[in-house]
Amino acid sequence: MARKRGRGMAACWYGIARTATVDRAGAWAELDDGGTAKIVTGVTEIGEGILTVLAQIAAEELGVRPQDVTIGDNDTARAPEAAHAGATRQTYMIGNAVALASHEARARLVAVVAKQWDVDPARIETANGQVFVDGTNHRMTMGEAVHLCKSRGVVPLGSAAFGTDTTGLDPGDGSGRPWQAYVFGCQVAEVEVDTVTGEVQVLGIWAAHDVGRAVNPRGVEGQIEGGIVQALGQGLMEDYRLSEGRTSTSGFAKYILPTALDVPQVTSIILEDRDPIGPLGVKGIGEPAMVPTIPAITNAIYDAVGVRITSLPATPEKVLAAIREREQRSGERPVARQAAERQLTS
Amino acid sequence: MPELAVEMTVNGRRVARTAEPRQRLIDFLRDDLHLTGTKEGCGAGECGTCSVFVDGVLVKSCLMPVAKAHGARVDTVESLGRNELSVLQKAFHKAGASQCGYCIPGMVMAATAALRANPLAGREEIKERLGGNICRCTGYQKIVDAVEMARDIGRGTLPASALDEVEAQDGRFIGANVRRLDAPSKVSGALKYAGDMTMPDMLHVQVLRSPHAHARIVSLDTSEAEAMPGVEGVITCDDVPGEDGFGVFVNDQPVLARGKVRYVGDAVAAVAAEDHLTARRALDRIKVVYEPLPAVFDPDEALRPGAPVIHDYAPDNITKHIPIRVGDVAQGFAASDLIVEQVYTTQAIEHAYLEPEAGLAYVDHDGVVTIVSPDQNITHHRHMLARILALPINKVRFIMSPVGGGFGGKEDMIYQGMLALLAIKTRRPVRLVFTREESIISTAKRHPSRTSYKMGLTRDGRIQAVEMKMICDGGAYGLSTEGVMRKAAILGAGPYNIPNLKMDTYGVYTNNTPSGAFRSFGALQSQFATESHLDICAEKLGLDPFEIRRINAMRDGAVTHTRQKLRSVSLLAALKAAEQASGWQPGAPVSRGDTREDLAKEGVRPPCSLGTRFEIADTKHSEVA
Repeated sequence: MARKRGRGMAACWYGIARTATVDRAGAWAELDDGGTAKIVTGVTEIGEGILTVLAQIAAEELGVRPQDVTIGDNDTARAPEAAHAGATRQTYMIGNAVALASHEARARLVAVVAKQWDVDPARIETANGQVFVDGTNHRMTMGEAVHLCKSRGVVPLGSAAFGTDTTGLDPGDGSGRPWQAYVFGCQVAEVEVDTVTGEVQVLGIWAAHDVGRAVNPRGVEGQIEGGIVQALGQGLMEDYRLSEGRTSTSGFAKYILPTALDVPQVTSIILEDRDPIGPLGVKGIGEPAMVPTIPAITNAIYDAVGVRITSLPATPEKVLAAIREREQRSGERPVARQAAERQLTS
Repeated sequence: MPELAVEMTVNGRRVARTAEPRQRLIDFLRDDLHLTGTKEGCGAGECGTCSVFVDGVLVKSCLMPVAKAHGARVDTVESLGRNELSVLQKAFHKAGASQCGYCIPGMVMAATAALRANPLAGREEIKERLGGNICRCTGYQKIVDAVEMARDIGRGTLPASALDEVEAQDGRFIGANVRRLDAPSKVSGALKYAGDMTMPDMLHVQVLRSPHAHARIVSLDTSEAEAMPGVEGVITCDDVPGEDGFGVFVNDQPVLARGKVRYVGDAVAAVAAEDHLTARRALDRIKVVYEPLPAVFDPDEALRPGAPVIHDYAPDNITKHIPIRVGDVAQGFAASDLIVEQVYTTQAIEHAYLEPEAGLAYVDHDGVVTIVSPDQNITHHRHMLARILALPINKVRFIMSPVGGGFGGKEDMIYQGMLALLAIKTRRPVRLVFTREESIISTAKRHPSRTSYKMGLTRDGRIQAVEMKMICDGGAYGLSTEGVMRKAAILGAGPYNIPNLKMDTYGVYTNNTPSGAFRSFGALQSQFATESHLDICAEKLGLDPFEIRRINAMRDGAVTHTRQKLRSVSLLAALKAAEQASGWQPGAPVSRGDTREDLAKEGVRPPCSLGTRFEIADTKHSEVA
């Protein structure tokens, strides 16, 4: 048969937040008029959905709904430092900072309400825009609670920073504590290789990734699916080519990117091994999602047609040349395997 | 230039304007009619971000001269769901089909066209109909899910309520699939990226770039360009008032070339003019005399004694070397039953965010130099720019504009310095929008790597020693190379217990396009080597690839290669989850594809063969709710 299928797998690990240096992020929270909320932090939404993630965190921690949260994002003259968008750090660093700032704002509000109702502040609950004590008639809207605070001269504000306990690496042996949170993952790829053209199609990827705690599972899937397809691009087709420092791939006609037709069906399995250090238990997913994809694919190519692709990308030309080379020396392979077995038993 | 009278109906309104004949339809829509929902991603009809309808037909507006649309009915993304989002737009919102959002208006147009062409299109047909639109963030799966949802609502097999927001009665929103709050602005085209923004009296910036990979600048004369009508300012490195130089780890890159150029595309001078074309023409009037220098394009050659030196501070061309040492590899190899050696190489790749770099700068009423750009690290860039401009930090302000994809590629301050200098020099707002070509030739790539790998194992599959040496082409400037080498080294040997490890990563200067931050930052290259190598070793040992990893896996309380004691380690759980979900059939990797029974089951798509007949979607609705 001209088309042969195979499967391969690969695992990965990754560190969360800045590497081998102290990371930090700050945030401000305010329960605002009408029971809305304002979060201000130097967050940078680069498409991963961090604004929604922060709104979910603030909503749950403050007791409002995500759509009630307004986020003032990155402006160096207006927002507290939350550092950069990268290193799979924003949910971990800024998410935890927003949670801590929200706790403080909520505590200010709850203290005023507790005094008004003459109850223990610990009994007061806030959720979905309601402030109440379970099993009692004590209940008001968040808007009323904010109004009450302000009439007592209190603005329910909070501010917080979240930092990491990390170190640099020893310049001699590399020892050090580069991150405080690690994630692990594993992917299986199923491919079909056309032995006439050398073309590889990735038909399925099963991706299991520990994210600590998924704030928005659909967003986590989006990161996994997008990461896998970027990796597929590097694994099979993308190639920024230079000759004497000059590129021949300065446009998308020559620099080939994956389209909807190239992508596998992705099955994401989200694992939650909570981070014991941060208040939320979250970790991250942005970068690790694409780490195991390429070796899973190249290992699957080997399974399908018996050729090892050790030089990326696995273009049809390269795969075909490897298949032809293998065919030419076919018959030698079993001998080579016997040799390997002899080596083991000797 | 003679002007052209054009009339057309745009989003239901008659429009009669004069246009310049060279204008493309996209320019007319964006610049003259301020319909910025139509985005420019490549200017060459390759990416689909500029998709509109002309007389009901989906076209790429960057390829159509405005004159060809004369008399036509043109509909842009702004025509969809004017009062309420269309079902398709709502489905994009619900399915989580937008991430950075830059491709999304074009994708919504293409998807609208797909369902108009065939309201019952099956998944594979939808994919083919979206094949001319590139998305770099989502991996397309949720986009296709969204189109399937809209299709199913359209034909009545899925209730419209499937698009509603989840309610969390208990107020527990962490863990819920809350719809993205920014999606409505993205699916409607309302969100303005930097290239969509204008300011009163704004000037347009163009950059003169080096045609040489390595050359001394003998002379640089901007006088003719400065004298051109419409040119308001020209800058070179002489306009930098403070300490020039930026970078993520080492400040080795000047705002504009100082004394020499180090790669093809290095910025040499920049012009601000009343319009884009005048700025472009002014570049031709800048006279630069170069004296080509010997150049080096291969990191191994760059490491040899006597190789051309790219930066004086690094006479050996090493940007960064990161070593990790555990135990004694010689002893480990001596104790091994099997030793496998292999070399792995990975290529440079481009981030290809659909939004090319763009930014605005102005000096505000308080004298604060303000930069608006899609920038992944404005906190650090503020520090660097203050030093470059010799201003207190609070006189420099960075505002993040929506980022149309980054993936690490927008962590470098490669153009914000020029914008600041031109805003200061002209005292007017300035804007620079990169072309796709400019973005590709001048911005960072993923580090190409070559890894020499040697692993020793005992016959029970236990790793005894790993020796790994990875050499990466860092290109002409440091950017994030140091950090990439560090992460590659720390993570490169994988999450396995390795008693003896000798790991070295080297980032090397060459005269190639600089390499920098790219999602997964060195760990992708180094773990590609390790995970490929384990497969080879598993075959030689007759072990299942999951098994060889389990034998060596770090477990709770493991000590990493940098001697850090971990608490909880989820590797075994991840291995088990992937193995079970895929229905993996155990066995050594001996190219058994022909014989395995776990293939072509659930979880795979059909292979793609263009031009085959499509099936009508089956009657059960798709599972995306």
